[in-house]
Order: sequence, then structure tokens, then C-alpha cells
Amino acid sequence: MEHSPSILCCNTLSKSYGNISAVNQLSFEINEPGVHAILGKNGAGKTSLIKCAHGLEPCSSGSINIFGHAAGSIHAKLRTGVILQDSDLPDLLTIREQLTLFSSYYPKPLDINSTIEKCDLGDFVDRRYKQLSGGQKRRAQFALAVIGNPDLIFLDEPTTGLDVDARRTLWNVIREFARKGKTIVLTTHYLEEAENLADNIMVMAGGTMVANASADKLKAQAQGSIIKCDTMLSESELQTLPQVIDVSVSGRFTHIQTSQANISLIALLQADPNLTDLSVNQPKLEDLFEQLSTQGEQV
Amino acid sequence: MPAAFYSLFAIMLPGGSNNAAYLLATYGVFGVMAPAIFGFGISVANERDRGWLDLKRASPSSAVTYIGAKICSTLLFASMSLIIIYAIAGFAAGVRLPTATWSLMLFVHILATFPFILIGLSIGFLCSNNAAVATSNVFFLALAALGGLWIPITIFPEAMKMFAMLLPSFHLSEIALYVLGAPGERNIMMNIMAIVIITLALLGFTRFAWSRQRS
Repeated sequence: MEHSPSILCCNTLSKSYGNISAVNQLSFEINEPGVHAILGKNGAGKTSLIKCAHGLEPCSSGSINIFGHAAGSIHAKLRTGVILQDSDLPDLLTIREQLTLFSSYYPKPLDINSTIEKCDLGDFVDRRYKQLSGGQKRRAQFALAVIGNPDLIFLDEPTTGLDVDARRTLWNVIREFARKGKTIVLTTHYLEEAENLADNIMVMAGGTMVANASADKLKAQAQGSIIKCDTMLSESELQTLPQVIDVSVSGRFTHIQTSQANISLIALLQADPNLTDLSVNQPKLEDLFEQLSTQGEQV
Repeated sequence: MPAAFYSLFAIMLPGGSNNAAYLLATYGVFGVMAPAIFGFGISVANERDRGWLDLKRASPSSAVTYIGAKICSTLLFASMSLIIIYAIAGFAAGVRLPTATWSLMLFVHILATFPFILIGLSIGFLCSNNAAVATSNVFFLALAALGGLWIPITIFPEAMKMFAMLLPSFHLSEIALYVLGAPGERNIMMNIMAIVIITLALLGFTRFAWSRQRS
């Protein structure tokens, strides 16, 4: 059987604006449908990646292919839908008119009425865009992204600036589409969003990918405990203690990640009986994200 | 605005009616400039600014459809502007011309929108929303005044006459005046050649502007 091309294949992509490098030698592939979150702080290169993936910006070097077609080509565009960041629709058209317009671009679009129902647009579909609230606007943009029945949907920070209710409504709609075997690539700087939605989480920092793993695997990485204390021992001495996974120093505090806190603690207290400000915490995915982002920025 | 200007100069000013036909040719060009330059310059810059154009570029809609639709609406507005000026000329200013001359002049005036559309498009692709308004105005007024649409270029100093040779508005109004059979010496072949060359150059520049546009 012939090997089918990746859903999305990014090959040593670099993108720079003048001297500023936004994306740096980025390579990854998406081969499974589902929700893929690209997590990163502002300036991590997420939006540049999305722009290059649609041919809105030329790649400085490297390439992106979508279902084997070059990014920005008509074949790639026919199979993708997108919510761009900071992209507004025309104020004076109703949502139904915009959906009708966009559905005409694609060979096999979804039915407009069922899309209106699925995206929960019923209350405002015949209103003009400028009369809608922020959450309604975003849902309308989402509907435009999916109306063409694309196999790959890009959502660039779809919930930024939305309140909790609007965010949850949009999440439900996104999940619904993921269940149908669509691939959704979602950029976000909300960890909660990635945790709630994504099957796979990629963490970007400083224009490169610092982690790319299933959400469960990443959570497993964040397991164990974090011992925080003020100690005289050096990092290398602490590394040799039993069950210790990682050691980092910030200010006067040392953070020791351990798979078994009680074992590491006994050894630690024996090695340095005078340590102060001792606490033991469960790490969150947030800590891992923070740690990965910081590492990425230093590279 | 072109219609109001035309009424002012061709009807209300004393002696204006002697020039009514002459002014019809030049104000027709003036009349199509506004929808072409402003319609494209400001609306494209605005749609680009709010990210709508990006979304269209990311979707499988074709650029040809986008620009084609805009050209259609521009031609519609240009025609409306022409109809008003022609009506004022025919009914109020007493311009009497053979039907063939009216038709040929209409044809020239409609074709005259295209070089201005290209100028408008380039402004739309290269300028931000606010800059597009200012830039469109500069081009609109400069092309009208320096191209001799308001005041015949024959009374300009020599240097300004030379400069007018570079402007599409000058050549187009000369062609319209030729159609009208207005008195004066003009080299119609040179005007046609010039407008073709200017339009091709603008086409090249617009393609460059399209490739340079950034979100």
C-alpha cells in the first residue's frame, strides 16, 4: 500500500522578519487526526507558523506541506479552513451571507443550515457581523473555517479575549469536529485550553519545538513531586540524591523534582540538616510548560 | 463631487457654457477617477487592515474573483458618476453632440477607469488604512490638477507640461477631447501609445505591490 502523505509536514522551516527570527529550523509532522495544540507564549513563533502554513507569508527557508501539497497552493487551501488571529469579517454582511460566500469556494461544503446548528449560531445568523458580541463573532469565524468541510482546520488563538462561557461553547464545537475525524491545529497560550482539548501538545518557544507529545505523556512528565527549599548543597550534589529527576535553582530557592518525595527527602535532610523553607508540592503541567518555554528561549 | 464641479464651471460661471463640451471630456475622466482610486485604495487597505483580505487569501477563493468583483462595482459607480455628468451636460449645459460621439466618449471614459484602478490597487496593497486615505487624496488631486482636468494644460508653464506627459489623466482627457473634436493640436497616436505604456507599467507595479503586501 502506498504511504499516504502526512496531514501536515513542516520541514526545517525558518521564518525571519529582517533580523528577527520568528521560526527557526522547525520540523514536525502531524499524521493523526484529532486536536493538536501548539502551546507557546507570545512571540514563540506560533502565528508565523500558521501564516506560512497558508502561504500568507513566504517561508524564509524550508517548507510546509499539507496532505502532500505545498502550503498556499490551491490544493492545500481546498482541504484547510482557518481562524486567523486579528481577522475580522466585513461588518455589514450577515453571518448567513458570509457562510454562503465561503461555502461557494469549496467543492463539497457542509450544509449551511446544519453548520449553523452545530456551531450554535441560530440566535444571530441573520444579524450583521458588527452587531455581534466577541464570543458570537468567534463562533461565526469558526463556522467560516469549517463550512468548506476541510480535513484540516487551523485555529490561531481562537479563544483569546473570550469569557469563560464563550470559551467553553467554542471548545464543545471544536470537540464535535474532532470526533468526526477532522484534524484541528490550535495555537494557544492557555495551558488549560490545551489540556482540555488536545490529544497532542506541542510546545513552542523561541521559534523551535521544545516538546511534542501526547497530552497524557506530558502530564506523566509532570508527575512526582517538587521539593522546594533553601539549601547549601550544590546542584550536582543534589542530582546524586536518590529518586531525584531534575534540579533547578531560582533565586535563593532550589527546586528538586523527584519521583518519590519521601525517599529523596530523607537523603536531603541527612545531607543538609540546616536547610530552611522546606515545602513539597505536586507539579502542574503549567510548571512543565514554564520550564520548557524557558529552556527553549535560552537556546 | 465631479458632477458638482462640472455644474459650477460649465453652467454657473459666466461664459461657462461655451466650454461645456470641452469640460465634459475632461470632467468625465475626473468623474471616473474618484471611484477607481478611492474605491480600490481605501477599501482594499481597509479590508487588508482588518485581516479580511488575509482570510480570503487563506481560503480557496481566487484573487481574480476578488479583484474582478471590485472592478465590476467600480465600473458601476464610475458609470453612475458619468451618467450624472452626461445628464447635466446634455440637459442643463446644452451640449449637443451626435449619438456616435456620445457613445465613443462613454467608451473612452469607461476604459479610463482601468489605469486609475491599478493606481488604487497599488495604494491599497502598500498603505495602511489611514495612509491609504491620505495617499489616495494626493494621487487623486495631483492627477486631476496636473493632468489638466480642471485647467487646460496649454496655460501651464513648460516644466509642468512636460510632467503632465507622464500622467494617465492627461492622455485620457486628450483622447476624450479628440473624440469630441475639440479645437487644438494634438497627437492622438502618441496619447494612445502613452496611455498603453503607462497602463502596462502600472500593471507591473500593481503585481509588485500585490507580492509585497504584508498582513
